[in-house]
Amino acid sequence: MNGLVVGLITFLAGLALSFGLELVSVKVKGPIPTDPFSKVWKKAKAVKVPLAGQTVTKPMEVNLPISEITVKSVNNGKEIAFLLIWEDKTQDRFHLINKFSDAVAVQIPYEPSADVPVTMGAKGKRVLILHWTAFRQENIDNGYSDVAKIHPNYAYDWYPHAKPPYRYPEDWNNQYALAYIGGEKVYRKNTLKTPIREVVAEGYGSSTWKDVQGADGRGVYRNGKWYVVIKRDFVEENTSNPEWGPGRDTFVTFAVWDGSSGNRGARKVLSYQWIKLRIER
Amino acid sequence: MAKAYNWQINREVNYPYEHERPEKQFAVVMDLNKCIACQTCTVACKTTWTPGRGQEYQLWNNVETKPNGFYPLGWDVKLMELLGEDQRWKGDRYEGKTVLDGTDTEPVLGWMPDDLDWTNPNIGEDEVNEPVDIGTVLEKFPHPIWMFYLPRICNHCTYPACVAACPRQAIYKRKEDGIVLIDPERCEGYQECVKACPYKKSMFNYVARISQKCIGCFPRVENGLQPQCVITCIGKIRLMGFLSRPGEEKRDNPIDFLVRIKKVALPLYPQTGLEPNVYYIPPINVPLSFLKQMFGPGAEHAVKTYMAMREGKEPELQALLHLFGSTDRIVHHFSAGTNEVIGYDENMNEIVRVPLYEPFQIRPHKDERLGVVRQDIP
Repeated sequence: MNGLVVGLITFLAGLALSFGLELVSVKVKGPIPTDPFSKVWKKAKAVKVPLAGQTVTKPMEVNLPISEITVKSVNNGKEIAFLLIWEDKTQDRFHLINKFSDAVAVQIPYEPSADVPVTMGAKGKRVLILHWTAFRQENIDNGYSDVAKIHPNYAYDWYPHAKPPYRYPEDWNNQYALAYIGGEKVYRKNTLKTPIREVVAEGYGSSTWKDVQGADGRGVYRNGKWYVVIKRDFVEENTSNPEWGPGRDTFVTFAVWDGSSGNRGARKVLSYQWIKLRIER
Repeated sequence: MAKAYNWQINREVNYPYEHERPEKQFAVVMDLNKCIACQTCTVACKTTWTPGRGQEYQLWNNVETKPNGFYPLGWDVKLMELLGEDQRWKGDRYEGKTVLDGTDTEPVLGWMPDDLDWTNPNIGEDEVNEPVDIGTVLEKFPHPIWMFYLPRICNHCTYPACVAACPRQAIYKRKEDGIVLIDPERCEGYQECVKACPYKKSMFNYVARISQKCIGCFPRVENGLQPQCVITCIGKIRLMGFLSRPGEEKRDNPIDFLVRIKKVALPLYPQTGLEPNVYYIPPINVPLSFLKQMFGPGAEHAVKTYMAMREGKEPELQALLHLFGSTDRIVHHFSAGTNEVIGYDENMNEIVRVPLYEPFQIRPHKDERLGVVRQDIP
């Protein structure tokens, strides 16, 4: 029972602490760089958002590996960007066996209403989630985390197929392995050119990759802190978009994963209250 | 939390989803008295399904020595620790904790193997239970000094812990044959299934970043063929077929006959509560206390039945064992005569006919016609 009590307390504390916060997306001119140390961020006001363990659904995170995230936002009329900064003593850039990657996510309701459940929406109340992961950043910065990179001294006789990062050749005669294990979608997920993935959800457990992946960003680890930029066009072509834009305010929340605390999926810390996002015109 | 009836432990278990039993359940029977750990099954599976990057350590089929072999390290010792000392059986009803009895914060009881735990699949190979004293003689069953080989694949459980634990519902159990599959497109590699599966048959591919597991060779099963590990077994210890729903057993269904009618094939650690669907004929050389812990209280009856068969008192069972490894097709029905056993497909078309006795002739030591003595006959 203790776990539940602790969870409930962190849940309520999270609700209370983030109540009444407002984040202003400051209007800037010109393209927004993905560099978290760009001058553009000097113009935006920082908001400190308290985080609490995920204790709504199992599996839960009853500890609090990360307790606060600092957030800024800018927009240039076409695209909106968030700068997310949090303290994390351990840099976890890999997603391996029983080792998990650091990550952060921004959540926006499709309909600009605080009635959309903050817990990843609900049936008919869709949310957009922009999810940065350190292991994707690692792939982009230092090459794909393939066997040779993870285990440099690993010896293996030969790989008959499955070229890195993971694709069977078209003529591989086990077509079932081709489709079942090395499917196109898995390959595409692993070869995204950006560390950000776009996900939609209608309730926890339902998050699904969008076919169109337009978001961009970059994460840098410096002096015990992650600095992550996540940016996206307000309106992306050929896909669904939240109702937002310059002068059209909405709401946001944030979630952070600490890889070395075993955080992944539902095991995360988050802000339990929608934060008003005022988007300057 | 839905309640679901588990016939193996004769009680309900806490399964998080509404549940309907599949029309028929993929099941494999393995006769542990015959396994020689040649690993042909392991290699057949490996070359078919897991030769790719990130799968180097994956053995969807493995064979380990019991009691000292494990893949991954200590998997069943950890399971016993998780379930605790209070693993009570009252007759055929299990009254202890199951894996599905999660906590306030965890959906099921589980533990996460580290990457090094997977790196010694042959640990403890051929090791016996304890050092052998000088003068030890193995003259009757069970043996004081013992070991046996345990081949393992995914159990395609009726109430899979992997399905219960996946927060994304990326794992599903097929209605048509009960095979449990991970959807590689929904899987995000959280490894909750790896943590949850007490048999540790879900494995993480760190290159593709998805969890993967034995797929029951579903493309073969869909075409009426038995899985690779079954048909390549040179010891002919395996038979794959379909188990009927409880109460709908048919005597001429080989799996029903072995599992439910003769009760000679038993689930592995039924106290997990998951209703695993690989059934083992327990090794008769092993003390009952160990077999009961591993296969439940039915071990005594199974060993007795098998011993009786060795004495010729179970002709139908003995005949059926001849169908193991005799065909690559799935046997839905069988009939045993005095001289042969016949396997049929689902439409009662004959697939295979196996003689119960090899034709043999006696050659005398001295061949009178040729006037020679044979030196090389047994």
